[in-house]
Amino acid sequence: MKIAFLLHDLQLSGGVGVVVRHARELATRHGHDVTLVLTREQEQEPWEFDGLAHLHVEGLSEARGQRFDVAIATWWETTFSLFELEATRYASFVQSLEDRFYPPNVPERTLAALTQSLPVAYVTEARWIADTLAELQPESQCLYVRNGIDKQVFAPPAELEVRLDGPLRIVVEGNPQVWFKGVPAALGAVARMREPRHLTLVAGAGTAPAAHGRTPDAVVGPLSQQQMARLYADSDVVLKLSRVEGMYGPPLEGFHMGATCVTTPVTGHEEYVEHGWNGLVVDWDDEAGTARALDLLARDRRLLHFLRTNALATARAWPSWEQAGTFMAGALAAIERAPAPPSGGARQLMADACVQLEHDRKLAKEHVELRRAARLARLLRRIPGVRLLLRARHHRVGRALLRPLRPLARRLLR
Amino acid sequence: MPDWQERITSDTPPAIRVEHELRYAAALPLVRERAAWCDLGCGNGLAAASALGGSYEGTVVLVDLDEQAVERARTAVDAREVVAFAADLTRREDLGRIRDALVAAAPEGGRCVTCFEVIEHLPTFAPLVELLVELATAHDTTVLASVPNDAFWAIENPHHLTKWGEGAVAELRSLLPADHVLLHQVPLQGSALVREGDATEEVTSVSLADGVPSHFLIALGPGAQGFAAAPRVVQVALEEERRWQRQRESDLAFAFARIRSLEAHVAYLSSDKRARRRRAARDGQDDDA
Repeated sequence: MKIAFLLHDLQLSGGVGVVVRHARELATRHGHDVTLVLTREQEQEPWEFDGLAHLHVEGLSEARGQRFDVAIATWWETTFSLFELEATRYASFVQSLEDRFYPPNVPERTLAALTQSLPVAYVTEARWIADTLAELQPESQCLYVRNGIDKQVFAPPAELEVRLDGPLRIVVEGNPQVWFKGVPAALGAVARMREPRHLTLVAGAGTAPAAHGRTPDAVVGPLSQQQMARLYADSDVVLKLSRVEGMYGPPLEGFHMGATCVTTPVTGHEEYVEHGWNGLVVDWDDEAGTARALDLLARDRRLLHFLRTNALATARAWPSWEQAGTFMAGALAAIERAPAPPSGGARQLMADACVQLEHDRKLAKEHVELRRAARLARLLRRIPGVRLLLRARHHRVGRALLRPLRPLARRLLR
Repeated sequence: MPDWQERITSDTPPAIRVEHELRYAAALPLVRERAAWCDLGCGNGLAAASALGGSYEGTVVLVDLDEQAVERARTAVDAREVVAFAADLTRREDLGRIRDALVAAAPEGGRCVTCFEVIEHLPTFAPLVELLVELATAHDTTVLASVPNDAFWAIENPHHLTKWGEGAVAELRSLLPADHVLLHQVPLQGSALVREGDATEEVTSVSLADGVPSHFLIALGPGAQGFAAAPRVVQVALEEERRWQRQRESDLAFAFARIRSLEAHVAYLSSDKRARRRRAARDGQDDDA
């Protein structure tokens, strides 16, 4: 089967990593011809993902000249280019309901939601997404394929070391500047702890949370998967207070290395986190309660070991990438087998949506500039004498006197 | 280490044997209605022969990876015609042979496939699932399959190449036609009274509720809605079970005693080391003086 995965770029991110891994499995284990189609101009060198050598990486213009059996969008903006490719079947690999990444009243939110109603087959990695899509589009084919875990990198230990004492070793992972990752809240909860603890924050380069005034004991990152595995193995707890997640990988990776988790009831947690069995689920916006849960784990080492033991057992039962790749191969075969939904108007619709998005983005930019100018004007009016000068504009003599100042005012307001 | 036994033989413990028997018992009415029956992963054919309990009017297609097991199965099963061959269920060519054999066995239609406790042994099951769906939707075939719920106990069975549980079954179901049927096979426990020296057969009722399954059974294709069977219970081999449990208890007690002994030894070594350090420090002071 000739398969195209459409990606924005090949930069390091969980979502891109999942697509590359599926593509690699399909190419190496299932004999498919897989192309990663990059839908926009690349400003940075791609991240060196393992297995890229087994795949074709092409730009949109190169891919337009080929015919694919299945073309798969992997991010809502890549659906704009999906129907530009010639393919027997079209699909969308949904890793989250991506409209939730944006605040209300921004054009991206509406258009991201629109892409959940395309006449394509859907493949998704989380049951909550599958259930939502089934409700939104009962007629659409929706296939459920969980992400695997690299069992060579996140290799579960044969036995779990009992940690009787020492500070509770906590790891917080995520970009502090991304609102839905909840990193500041996690740092706040750890700051409220009373028991001894050691906090490591894994964040991207230049994203250290100095502005939040809640300094972790160590800030590291970006880390490779191998480095993350070592960090999890040295940690007791993965603390995640996210507000939006898809399949929710990081705590599961921690589980593989024998760390339990403290988490909000974020979407995706229900795939494998069970409160009081392999982790603790804390409430939303409850830094004090989260701190108490962490303190409990720091004090009660029997409970900590119980949760870690069950976390490890949960991890052992989770599928490998090889198994996940088999389900993806099965899903794509099922999509190819099923009749194609009528998608005649989809290409035009997505082209219009793309133009509309560009237009909205331009308007939004102008709106920001206008607001900035208005704010500056308000500030200028507060300067003593400026109001007097503005009032003078209404008189002939005043206008004549102010004429030499006009170029300066124009420059300031530009 | 658990003693993994993947083939059903005469030595298989009763509890595991009855699980297999129940699956085949549920399949039997559907098999008997059909002109051809294909048992994938038939092993030595004991389970199939025992399920039939007599002669089968149609054609049986027996398939296993192990050629010797297939040959044993050929003689174990009593049917109008037996077609048996070794095949690798991960290879499309072999799956094509199976499809052709089954279609040829009942050219007029009316086929059944059983695939119990096989999928988890395959490194890749996508081609097999494709075949099963194709048979169910395009070749008038009732397909009955099962997978274990290994994920619940996080059992690491060295013979199982993929992990199966509630999540994996949900993934599998998304690949199947919407009208498939899912059954949970749940374990039972019980007790009975028997007069000394007697051997009787008792019939009883048991309340069944939704619970954690030991296996998931899936039926698709025509007749799938009729996939069901009454519970089966067998008497426990208490002597064997006692032996296994006592061995475990005794090993555990031995391990604890050994740990205590080692801990005492470590404590002695630590105190001895401290004493030697103190003595060395005192001797040093004496020398200085």
